[in-house]
Amino acid sequence: MLRYITRRVLYAVPILLGVCLATFLLFYVVVSPTQLARRNLSSRHPTQQEIQDWLQQHGYDRPLAVQFRDHMLHLALFQFGSSDANGEPIGRKLRNGAGPSLELAAPMFVAEVWTAIFLALVLAYYRGTYLDLWGLIVCVVGMSIPGLVYIISGQYYFGKILRLFPFAGYGHGLHSWKFVAMPLLIGVISGIWGSVRFYRTAMLEEINQDYVRTARAKGVPESRILFIHVLKNAATPILTSVVLGIPFLMLGNLLLESFFGIPGLGSMTVDAINGSDFALVRATVYLGAVLYIIGAILTDISYALADPRVRFE
Amino acid sequence: MLNAAPVRAGQRSLIRAALFSLLTLALLLASGCSNNPYPPEDARRNILYRALIDDPKRLDPSVSYTVDEGEVLSLICNSYFQYHYLKQSPLTLELGIGAVVPTQHPSPAWVMEGGKRVARTGVLWSFRLKPGLLFQDDPCFPGGRGREVVAADVIYSFKRMADPKVPCPVLPYFLDKVVGLQEYNDYQRQRAKKGLPADYSYPVEGLQLDPADKYTFRILLNQPYPQLRYLMAMYFTAPIPREAIHYYGADFRRHPVGCGPFVLAEWTPKLRLVLKRNPNFRTEYYPSAGDSGDRKAGLLADAGKRLPLADGIVYTILKEGVTGWNLFLEGYMDAWSVPKESFRQVVSRQGTLTPQMAANGIRMDRSRDPNVYFYAFNMKDPTVGGYTPEKRKLRQAISMAMDVRTYIDLFHSGLGQPAQFVIPPGIFGFDKAYRNPYRQFNLARARQLLAEAGYPNGIDAKTGERLSISYDNTATDPSERQTMLWVMQQFRRLGIRLVPRVCRYEELQDRIQKGQFQLVLYGWLADYPDPENFVFLLYGRNDRTVNAAAYDNPEYNRLFEQMRAMDDGPERLSIIRKMRAIEVEDCPVAFSDHGEGLGLHYMWVTNEKLHPVALDGDKYRGIDAERRARLREAWNQPHYGPLLALAAFLVCGSIPAVFTVRNRKSRHLRRRS
Repeated sequence: MLRYITRRVLYAVPILLGVCLATFLLFYVVVSPTQLARRNLSSRHPTQQEIQDWLQQHGYDRPLAVQFRDHMLHLALFQFGSSDANGEPIGRKLRNGAGPSLELAAPMFVAEVWTAIFLALVLAYYRGTYLDLWGLIVCVVGMSIPGLVYIISGQYYFGKILRLFPFAGYGHGLHSWKFVAMPLLIGVISGIWGSVRFYRTAMLEEINQDYVRTARAKGVPESRILFIHVLKNAATPILTSVVLGIPFLMLGNLLLESFFGIPGLGSMTVDAINGSDFALVRATVYLGAVLYIIGAILTDISYALADPRVRFE
Repeated sequence: MLNAAPVRAGQRSLIRAALFSLLTLALLLASGCSNNPYPPEDARRNILYRALIDDPKRLDPSVSYTVDEGEVLSLICNSYFQYHYLKQSPLTLELGIGAVVPTQHPSPAWVMEGGKRVARTGVLWSFRLKPGLLFQDDPCFPGGRGREVVAADVIYSFKRMADPKVPCPVLPYFLDKVVGLQEYNDYQRQRAKKGLPADYSYPVEGLQLDPADKYTFRILLNQPYPQLRYLMAMYFTAPIPREAIHYYGADFRRHPVGCGPFVLAEWTPKLRLVLKRNPNFRTEYYPSAGDSGDRKAGLLADAGKRLPLADGIVYTILKEGVTGWNLFLEGYMDAWSVPKESFRQVVSRQGTLTPQMAANGIRMDRSRDPNVYFYAFNMKDPTVGGYTPEKRKLRQAISMAMDVRTYIDLFHSGLGQPAQFVIPPGIFGFDKAYRNPYRQFNLARARQLLAEAGYPNGIDAKTGERLSISYDNTATDPSERQTMLWVMQQFRRLGIRLVPRVCRYEELQDRIQKGQFQLVLYGWLADYPDPENFVFLLYGRNDRTVNAAAYDNPEYNRLFEQMRAMDDGPERLSIIRKMRAIEVEDCPVAFSDHGEGLGLHYMWVTNEKLHPVALDGDKYRGIDAERRARLREAWNQPHYGPLLALAAFLVCGSIPAVFTVRNRKSRHLRRRS
């Protein structure tokens, strides 16, 4: 197992280099350093001298190869430097943003998985009834609606019509819960439909297996068959989608955070892209790539843990 | 019947899980219970609730330049002068932290010309601060107690502005005028290149302290520059304690330290800024005189009360306009602007507030910001530029073909007025009766001028090809694209093909700077209310960062140099009119409009009067907190009914399925037995 993990980590190095190089070059193609300076200087009409001073202070006047080398060296050591937009240390920005992101993403992740599995079990249990049929129709409709529609209509309904939650904002400590509740609810409602369909299919495939018939023949209660045997055997495909989602807990939810004014990593990334904060974009892309690779390795490990037939060789 | 028990057990498990889910959902909903985004204990506190449309990048008085940043900083950092809150016709300066109106005396000065010092007669301005002023309490001071503000703090802020590592946007106003400041700037740049820190002890001849009086400082200018008094009202020239710079270093941008009415108590990025009353703030009272009509409007009811009237200000950072508008309607924002998408819901066809809004206690204010928008021609372009009669006629024809009144009605709901010249209403030199002959929409005359320019019906008489002009713009969102289509339509009526070149704002700036354009839309908002701050947009010696058209008429330049240092009066007015006549004939720009805005506020906010230039209005505004709390509570009672109905529907709808499965299993069992 250790050899397998070492091999996967070594594979990750060229992937990371490629991701960083692509981001680096793409940014230079889209935004020239002079435009970057114009965007981040406070003056609406900066002089050439002001632009030159800014480029020098931020190291954008050096050759591209030197910039990329230094950039990679710093990233490898997780030294993210400071934001182009306001000079704030990026490490501090990431630390500050991780808390609110986790506060929303972690319960949303758990609630999504729990609700999706629960609904999939219900549909599998009532398979062939009108509940199953309507459940599937609702799932297809739910999947077809864009996330933005859920956010805007959910915000309007829960916030404006029912007046149950604040429209937007965030608080610290216990006060934060009432701000997180609505995006959490909307996030779960908008995100589960595809999973419900997928999990239901995985479970129905298992329900017709020989071991289920054997269990029934031995008199094992239906609930035990469904919740223990079927669920465990249907876990492999479920795990794939679930574990791969864990790294994104850290990176936050771009749309939800932006719309609900939650100062997490998701909204920070959106703002960095919109504001041409190259330094911050590079850091979040790198972090995203690292976390994704970790997630992929964790998925492989979880396969072996969930299904003894899977081996690392 | 033997296997019926496991079936029921399965259903029980599902029911248990369903109940757990419903309970969690109920708890989730109950946890909200209110749409109040603020802590309940603040409901009856004397706090103003405001919004910022973006997270400030910085709150550094030497660097910040956006209106949002300026609104916050103006309440934290006070300057020598400030604008009178109520006297706005005309705009009036009054002393802020200054003790006396500064005196001006001719004095020997110099300028660098060709690497040599050339003697000039300059102007020495003498200032004196009010004694006994204190900086806010802050950890940067020994014991955390704010020390006295002295003249050296103002000189320090000037030297900091000229530090190349501090990108101060208004430095060009001072750099060529304060004696020795350019040399200081060069010296600091040399140090920066060597990797050395800035040396603020390097002397600047034009920034002088009085050894006999710690409150007095002098500024020596190498030329007359009366606009200095306006610059001394901007937060850029507010005193900065050097202790704060040493203590916070680069993080000073997040910890502004000043002597204004409020101090920054909290700044959660992307979320909120909280200001609280500065206990060290000088004794200052609400004005007891204003413009005619202010007394009737109740704006003098708080005359003589100590400022600031509010205990604090909470700024919520709201990037989504819809969210802010809804918070305003719920009473959680004290003020908001009129959203375009809800314009008719707010403003009637007569231009007044709709009865529905008025019944909710909302009041409307009109804001007339001193601004101007125009389409600048590249005067160095071979097609649209140049000063020959034909080129002038081409530009005049285009200007006459633009129906700006329709544009204002279409895109700004009728708010604003067509610009006849570069000077906007409220600024000396603005002539309400004046009509620019090439600004009046007249398609027939425009076509005639176009033909005289050598392009009959938009066809080049020499080549027989249709005239094509590129229009560089930043139309990336739907409303900007609509504006772009409107501009194209104006040109199409003349038979000219307008080719839009869409790019990001920074790229547009690059193209303007390099002169790689033919036509661009350009806007300017006054830094200070002086005509010089507008007519300089066409001064030939200004580079394209200000003079985008690169217009360069020697007579206009001469007149500008003559009027820039004058006080307002008939002579200055006469020069401005001469400049206008020159500009109008040359037509280097096609004037668009002077924009206006509408502000809304609730009746519980007192003393609301929008100021066209000053940004510190919140220190004069008061709150009837009790009334606000009562109304908010009444307007925001939660509704649970629809949710309970949905839950009941789901439960009832599921019951037949439960029985179906139960019956199916039983049937199977019976058949098997």
